[in-house]
Amino acid sequence: MASAAPGDSVSTTTEEAAATAGARAWLTTTDHKRIAILVGGTALVIFFAMGILALLMRYQLAWARNHFLAAHEYNEVFTIHGSGMIYLVVTPFALAMGLYLVPLQIGASTVAAPRLTMLGYWLYLFGAIAMLGGFALATGAADTGWTAYMPLSNSVYSPGSGQDVWILGVFLSTVGMIFIGATVLWTVMFLRAPGMTMLRLPVFTWATVATNLMIVGAFPSLLVALGLMIAGRMAPSAVIHNVWNIGYQHLFWFYAHPVVYVMFFPFVGAVAEVLSTFSRRPFFGYKPTVVSLLAFAGLSMSVWGHHMFTTGQVANDYYSLTSIALLIPAGLEYFGMVGTIVGGSLVFRAPMLFALAFIPQFLIGGLTGIMVGTPVVDYHVRGSYFLVAHFHYTLMAGSFFGLFAGLYFWFPKVTGRLLNEWLGRIHFALLVVGTNLTFLPMFWLGQHGMPRRVNTYDRSDGFGALNLVSSVGAAIMAAAMLVFVANLVVTLRRPAAAPADPWQGTTLEWATSSPPPPVNFTEPLPPITGYAPLLDLRRRAASERVT
Amino acid sequence: MIYRQVFGEIFPMETAIAGAVFVIVLATVIYAVVLRRARAGRSASGRIELPKLELAYAVLLAGVAAFLVYATASANTRLHRATSDPARSGDPAENVKVTAFQWCWRFDYLDRRTSVGGSCASSRHYPVLVVPTGRPVRFRLTSSDVEHSMWVPALKFKVDAFPHHTNAFTLRFDEPGQWLGRCAEFCGNRHSFMHFYLRAVRPDEYRRWLQQHPGTP
Repeated sequence: MASAAPGDSVSTTTEEAAATAGARAWLTTTDHKRIAILVGGTALVIFFAMGILALLMRYQLAWARNHFLAAHEYNEVFTIHGSGMIYLVVTPFALAMGLYLVPLQIGASTVAAPRLTMLGYWLYLFGAIAMLGGFALATGAADTGWTAYMPLSNSVYSPGSGQDVWILGVFLSTVGMIFIGATVLWTVMFLRAPGMTMLRLPVFTWATVATNLMIVGAFPSLLVALGLMIAGRMAPSAVIHNVWNIGYQHLFWFYAHPVVYVMFFPFVGAVAEVLSTFSRRPFFGYKPTVVSLLAFAGLSMSVWGHHMFTTGQVANDYYSLTSIALLIPAGLEYFGMVGTIVGGSLVFRAPMLFALAFIPQFLIGGLTGIMVGTPVVDYHVRGSYFLVAHFHYTLMAGSFFGLFAGLYFWFPKVTGRLLNEWLGRIHFALLVVGTNLTFLPMFWLGQHGMPRRVNTYDRSDGFGALNLVSSVGAAIMAAAMLVFVANLVVTLRRPAAAPADPWQGTTLEWATSSPPPPVNFTEPLPPITGYAPLLDLRRRAASERVT
Repeated sequence: MIYRQVFGEIFPMETAIAGAVFVIVLATVIYAVVLRRARAGRSASGRIELPKLELAYAVLLAGVAAFLVYATASANTRLHRATSDPARSGDPAENVKVTAFQWCWRFDYLDRRTSVGGSCASSRHYPVLVVPTGRPVRFRLTSSDVEHSMWVPALKFKVDAFPHHTNAFTLRFDEPGQWLGRCAEFCGNRHSFMHFYLRAVRPDEYRRWLQQHPGTP
């Protein structure tokens, strides 16, 4: 450059700026951070749309014999709410967090195979458009639930093309997730900075490793199940025997139980990092937690039959054994989280509030998970609102609180802007009240006999009062999310002035600027002495000052 | 009713354990939030592990898991025995074939050539499954179209109905009564009102009912 004329260097800078700022640059980027922002941003937009569908359902169910939505409309709404949340929101967002943070946390400058990763985003985006586009069809969107059991989803019982675009959407987004999960896993295996041994990986990165192992191991099973469903739509009489119907359930749940943990682990990892940072100490119980995450991932692929206890066609006691065994790694993870705060010096910022609420709230989902993993209890509560309450406690009261803990925590890293603390606290308080008010009554509704996926109920059922409470809770959650949107708008209009490390972070992503440069680190990395290298650095500096 | 009986043993036990765990964890979190708040002069512990405590805790967890597996699996075994084919015990059973379809139920009394149908379109016409008290009733549950699930919430029992497959199970009703039954597997547009009544009556009343509902030859 030294020999170039001044004019050349100016034009080069302009070109560079154009090359990194334009829409085209974003859509063809090979920067893992930008791909992650695309995936996470898309997921967040769809999250709001799926939330609106949830509000429609809660309005419909607020009182008995409501005629706001017809049965077939309600069926489309709950199908796309569930499918959208699982295939298009929580799974992609969980992966986007790993895609953004893992290369930074392990001191790498890029993700392995960035173009394959970007292809993953494109597949996911087209999948989302296909599935949600179902609402534009004359016959409506898919209406067989996110599980889409055969033969209900075949072309005899679901003739509309909504089911076809649903298959397309799930297939594309799932292939996209496999690509992204595989490249992030590859990154951890081969692109770690010198000194970053496997037992110095931050807890969040370990959670991502376990997540991606499950993706690579279990997601292909869904593709096979979808293939079976395609056969059921092209030639329903060819797959009419029971073996195909029950076979579909096996293939589906072999994917769909691990996906529950895919939608959970990255958020538990986020909670672990937040708890550690705001307790001003390294995460307690690192090794048991790592072992637990891997044991969890392994067990996750041997519990799928607990979704089929009432089919009369699986070995219930075996799947109950593996399901109940999950309490051992889960208990150890909780030991780490609770142990971290008990010996900490706690600072209550918005991310910490979400992380703290995560602990008891997810616990409700986990403890009731043991109940639904018990055959003699599941014979009653399966397919009821008890189950709806259970998995919303894991996903909404658990994973989403972890998601928001991570979002408030890493937002300054990603955007260079700190979210407003007071709006964050209002968001948090409303979300705690709304979430529990919405989902707690559902345990009793299920106990008293309300099946899931019903568009209405009779006055004589006596479900009215609890449903009304639940719907009021949903309205409070909506208010909480409006506060969050206001926070995003207010924050993004301010200049990007966040420091590299606004929270006294413990891991390597806080050692680079906010947002990080395209190659992640322009300064030499700090010495990697453990799984919380920046905390080690601060502690060493403090002890040197003392001596 | 064996289902209600084992549910009544296991569910309260699990709820009590879950409640205790929840209270312990919540109390610990509240302790940390209240008493470990950052202030001048307080420094956080740098300890990253307590291997002996962690190991003891893992053993405790394994013990709890083993207890739960034992207690719940033996309850399930009792249930399985009680609902298996009564032919071995020589008890004469009433045989009823239950067919779920979009969107109602049909009950065929196999030894009687009696059939009960109904319409799920109105609560006055829900089909009624009449069974005798005091002796086993053998159900053969199937579906003629998509998957359904036969659920009687008050009795805590549920079995899925598959097309091209029959799930057989035996129930004994000790007391007369009538309970609402529902479909618990989403099956299409009228899933929400695919109801029936299960009515257990004393043997003499059951005989009268059969006489009033002669089979179609």
